[in-house]
Amino acid sequence: MIRYEDVVVRYPRASRDALAGVGLDARRGMLTAVVGPNGSGKSTLVRALLGRVQLGKGRVLVNDHPITDRMVFARRVAVVTQREELAFPLSVEEYVALGRFPHLGGWRGAGSGDRAAVERAMERAGVEEFARDERQLQELSGGEWQRVRLARALAQEGEALVLDEPTTFLDVAHEMSVFELLHQLAGDGHAVLVVSHQLNLVARFADEIVLLSAGRVAAAGSPDDVMQAAVLERVYEWPLVVTRDPAVGAPALLPLRVRRRT
Amino acid sequence: MFAIVACRDTRKASFTTHDIVDDYGHAVKLAAPPQRIVSLNPATTELLFAIGAGPHVVGRTQYDFWPDSARLVPSVGAGMRPNLEAVLGRHPDLVVMYASSDDYAAAERLTAAGVATAAFRMNKISDFARIAMLLGRLVGDTTRARTVVDTVTATLDRVRRATESLPRPTVFLHAWEKPLMTLGAGSFVTELVTIAGGRNIYDSLPAPSPVVTLEDVLSKNPQIVLVSPLERQMILKSARWQTLPAVRAGRVVAYDTNLVERPSVKLGEGAVSLARILHPGVLP
Amino acid sequence: MWLRWFVFVLGLVAALLLATALGTIALSPGQVWNALFNRGDAAAITIVQVLRLPRAVLAALIGAGLGISGAALQGTMRNPLAEPYLLGVSGGAAVGAVFAVSLGISLTLVPLAAFAGAIAAVLLAFFVAHAAGTRGDARILLMAGVVVGAFANSVIMLVLGSAPSNVVRDAVWWMMGSVAAATWTDNGWLFGYLLVGGGALLLWARQIDVLALGDDTAAALGLDPERTARKVYAAASLVAAATVAAAGLVGFVGLVVPHIVRGTGIRRHLPLFAGSALVGAALVVLADLAARTIRPPAELPLGAVTAIVGVPFFLARLRRLV
Repeated sequence: MIRYEDVVVRYPRASRDALAGVGLDARRGMLTAVVGPNGSGKSTLVRALLGRVQLGKGRVLVNDHPITDRMVFARRVAVVTQREELAFPLSVEEYVALGRFPHLGGWRGAGSGDRAAVERAMERAGVEEFARDERQLQELSGGEWQRVRLARALAQEGEALVLDEPTTFLDVAHEMSVFELLHQLAGDGHAVLVVSHQLNLVARFADEIVLLSAGRVAAAGSPDDVMQAAVLERVYEWPLVVTRDPAVGAPALLPLRVRRRT
Repeated sequence: MFAIVACRDTRKASFTTHDIVDDYGHAVKLAAPPQRIVSLNPATTELLFAIGAGPHVVGRTQYDFWPDSARLVPSVGAGMRPNLEAVLGRHPDLVVMYASSDDYAAAERLTAAGVATAAFRMNKISDFARIAMLLGRLVGDTTRARTVVDTVTATLDRVRRATESLPRPTVFLHAWEKPLMTLGAGSFVTELVTIAGGRNIYDSLPAPSPVVTLEDVLSKNPQIVLVSPLERQMILKSARWQTLPAVRAGRVVAYDTNLVERPSVKLGEGAVSLARILHPGVLP
Repeated sequence: MWLRWFVFVLGLVAALLLATALGTIALSPGQVWNALFNRGDAAAITIVQVLRLPRAVLAALIGAGLGISGAALQGTMRNPLAEPYLLGVSGGAAVGAVFAVSLGISLTLVPLAAFAGAIAAVLLAFFVAHAAGTRGDARILLMAGVVVGAFANSVIMLVLGSAPSNVVRDAVWWMMGSVAAATWTDNGWLFGYLLVGGGALLLWARQIDVLALGDDTAAALGLDPERTARKVYAAASLVAAATVAAAGLVGFVGLVVPHIVRGTGIRRHLPLFAGSALVGAALVVLADLAARTIRPPAELPLGAVTAIVGVPFFLARLRRLV
């Protein structure tokens, strides 16, 4: 549903391309994860989708069409970026309700359908009690804020969900519940594209992994295909071992300490 | 602050100025009557010509147009914050300037450059007599100065006597529109109005040019509004000025601001022109 | 919740009534009331309808315009210290006015020159920001506005430095702000600009809600953040320029009023604009009343009074934030 074709992006005054010809297809019903070391271009992929950086070459397509109307795009695809800072106080409910903006436009009032969508979104993200307690955004912890942002994206009720590092600041329980949710959404038919550095979580939940290295796709495929020690070591430039986690049955990455004791 | 020691006039024989203190409180140091005078003030320029020192005036400001012969004197630019190089370029031995707070530094620099400097400020009519006599002493001829002062005083007295017993119309002096400013007790124009047989409604405000509100003017209900010729039409046509009964009745009179507001030898004529406005026919 | 709005509206009405009732000439409330409806003493009617009411209305329009403009800029720039004069409006307007005054142009054309100067300065700020290679980044625009403002100040100093004292007096008084010469024509023009500029801002209020979340999130929700921000800057600056043309520089209102309104718990921009318009109007009406009654018969500059009145409110707000 979201397809990148040979996308090249270079930031102004940069010495090399941030993305040097990346191709990727995030299909419906699948959880696609983009992983890679710092600076490999993961966030740039998201920015390119939002139109926040100029494409040097290539295209980004949604449902096989280039993105021409941002509002229509926002109704189909919900994006949560890596960082968001607020300048002014806002309540959780007001914030999540802004997720309905692409459907409301400038002046249509929020109807019962919109309010229901907001409630559903907050439930799925596990933040419904914030509305009850009239929590304010500036009072939230990092993890609570992350989940509220996810709620906003869910309120958009798009066909696709794109998230850049959604598990930052989350404890293990919340990490797992977010990924369970993403897995569920993919199962329901959404296209879910996640940028994450949490390789082990990704290996357990993703249907497809795209490994980026220095702006290029170093490997792509199922977790079993991509989670190979040789490839990962080369890309991450760190000694590591890939095991198969017996409890779960998914590949797991074990980084090694530099001074080896054999 | 100044001190003046009355002394009998002699031309050059006993020329002494060390006891003359100007309005900055500085003593004026002249060894002999000045031959090259730069005047940075229309009033003093006119005075210098009137007391016979015209031939010695070698520099004036760009706004000094009186008397007519002053226009032949080279201009050195502005009077306030003067261009010292232009002033010194005239090689003066005396510079007469206006004693404003802005120009204190200029006076010090001129003195440091070895040029005698005398700064005066004329707020009231009494200042005129004082300054005219001081200038007379500075140029070494107090006879002509005395004559000038006496003539002006005589005219003022004549006007005062002619209007003394007449009913006094209340007067509003419109000095500026934005902000609305008038002339108060601190200005000699208020004195001229009194001499001319009127009463400035703001003669209780000590400042020379206070800012006031139209509503306050309205509360004092002046009988006549005196205004500069440029603003008369504006006031007559303005909706908010029409709230004044005097304006509605058309009693808005333009007075010759150039004449009246020059604190110099024309004071007497200024009073006459005001008296002709306030009491037509009394003075021929 | 509705109490807030009741207080806002009541506050403005009370301010307007006070402004028409009080002044150098004492009028009883009954006289004032009658005068408003063309009844009673002719002098009272004139005082109320020609002298006091136009002033009060102009003050209210100015306060409303500055309040909305400030709130819009704060939200769009995501900066609680943004204010209507930020993008060069005050500097440009002052340059226009000073030039007009020093060239001896008729006093009636000075507002036009001020307006033209303000618009030119804002365009210059946009140009400078664009030349610096930004896509409408708020911080770059802010800096461009500061640069343009500094440049304008130096031009003003150059012109005033060699100008005769009456020009300096005119210019300085203009820069201190005043509604003393208010006419119904002035009010009509300002109302027109408010309707257009303020109306546009009200229309875009929800977009500004989204913009306030940040450029990336705004893009994610379907806006073109740079284009939307530019629209807001243009409308807000238009309103600010119109107020400056009408009454000179009235500072602090656009900065303080949105904070006061936020302090009552209003967060979304549509109610924030409405509240800022009401509170701003009341504030400036009261400030003008103070300016002309505190030290009779003198009239204090409006800009000075709004700053003095605004500071305690702002400090109180700062304490709450800390």
